Amino acid sequence: MSAAPLLNVEGLSAGYGPIEVLHQLDFTVGEGEIVVILGANGAGKTTTMRAISGMIGRHGTVEFAGHEISGAKPDAILRAGISQVPQGRGTFTDLSVEDNLRAGGYTIKGSIQDDLDRWYELFPRLAERRSQKAGSLSGGEQQMLAVARAMMPRPKLLLCDEPSLGLAPLITQELFRVLGSLRDEHGMSLLVVEQNAGMALALADRAYVLETGSIVATGTGAELLADDTIKEAYLGVVN
Amino acid sequence: MSLFIERFINGLADGSIYALLALALVVVFRATGQLNFAQGEIGTMGAFFVSTLTLSGLSVWLSIVFAMVLGFVVSAGVERVVVRPIEHRNPSAVIVALIGVFLAVNQFVAMIWGVDARGLPSVFPDAADDFVTIFGAPVRIARLGLIGVLIVVLFLLWLMFNKTKIGLAMRAVANNQESSNLVGIRVGTVLLLGWGLAGAIGVLAAAMLAPSAGLTGTLMLGPFLLASVAAVLGGLDSPVGAVVGGLIIGLTEAFIVGYVPFFGADMLFPVMLVILLVVLLFRPSGLFGTERVERV
Repeated sequence: MSAAPLLNVEGLSAGYGPIEVLHQLDFTVGEGEIVVILGANGAGKTTTMRAISGMIGRHGTVEFAGHEISGAKPDAILRAGISQVPQGRGTFTDLSVEDNLRAGGYTIKGSIQDDLDRWYELFPRLAERRSQKAGSLSGGEQQMLAVARAMMPRPKLLLCDEPSLGLAPLITQELFRVLGSLRDEHGMSLLVVEQNAGMALALADRAYVLETGSIVATGTGAELLADDTIKEAYLGVVN
Repeated sequence: MSLFIERFINGLADGSIYALLALALVVVFRATGQLNFAQGEIGTMGAFFVSTLTLSGLSVWLSIVFAMVLGFVVSAGVERVVVRPIEHRNPSAVIVALIGVFLAVNQFVAMIWGVDARGLPSVFPDAADDFVTIFGAPVRIARLGLIGVLIVVLFLLWLMFNKTKIGLAMRAVANNQESSNLVGIRVGTVLLLGWGLAGAIGVLAAAMLAPSAGLTGTLMLGPFLLASVAAVLGGLDSPVGAVVGGLIIGLTEAFIVGYVPFFGADMLFPVMLVILLVVLLFRPSGLFGTERVERV
């Protein structure tokens, strides 16, 4: 990574009311990179996502594509090119699959037909179910819909908040394959927070380990996969 | 038979008013989860405004359009000035605040336009001999016009909700505000528009009702109660339910008043109360409403 990173976070602190959840986080996501933040329940993963996308108040520096965005509102951050797949999918359950995608393209001026075609091609199951209500889809399909919806605003960086939550291992595998193809075939950068360490680290170019609001380790996906403490804490492997 | 048809169509006509008002209640409820107690009074205010405009020589249709704009602004203002600031701190206090708005608008109308009843011209031909005969039953054209207005409003709302970007945004916000934020929809603006739209529909309902009911400060009191029952019956979050509920209530009213001798009209509200109780007991989400599943 010779050029400046796409996302550069320095000294990020955030929380809810008087309670600070994140303490001075530093991390980066490079162009075309998948970065995983690994953390257990309550480590601050979701808060990190919400702090970047502007859904909660935060302190510190967040630079995206060379612009300071730490004071920006959610819709401005989205327009700048950061889109989010929220935890629990957050699909519009009463709306059809197609309307979910159209809502995803809300910030796009002009036709979004090409975008719809592109994501229907990557997610053929969604194309089959385009007029069904999103609430009637299976968990895996809803997660795919959430990813497709987040791609509709044509982002440069995709934030994924625990995408594997509540999914069967096979479905998770399929999902992570899709996330990989977003990087490899669509030139996307991804920041994924996960507690499913095994699959996430296998996918990641680089990873950070988050514990009680602070980053305690960092390395490439392979390095962390080989690390004994990581194995013990997140993979349930005891040597 | 012809008497039945006459009552049936009159029921549908009154039901159209309740359906419009119930639609307005549902639009607000879907967006903010609040029952707008001031809905009826904002309509009454609009109807008086129509009266003032027509007296100054404006055509009735145009007066109604201007009054609907007023209803839009006032209702949107209530959302911005009263509902939003309070909701952040205590959602249930909004109910009390909206009852306050109800009283305030009610008194404002009395202050500006006085307490004497006045007439309001109908937008439809409404002379003594303006009726058509349907299966032998004489039906006033103005009554048929009410049903026509409901159909036109429904069609326009359908177009807006299903064919426009702002309609999509309104449905998205009604379904999931957090996710709406995530896809870049300005939720506050959409809520404002929803309340405004409801205000405009409420004014239309009042302006349609006033020619036959007489324009007084209490014009919308009864209809508001009946529309609330209609909205609960249909399902508070279902526009289709609001319309079906409104028409059912209108027909129920027409048949009770028509077929129960002597005290039929007095039975109206007790019967509505029973309908409300039965719905809440056996189908709390209404005929078309989304069933709420509580996960414990």
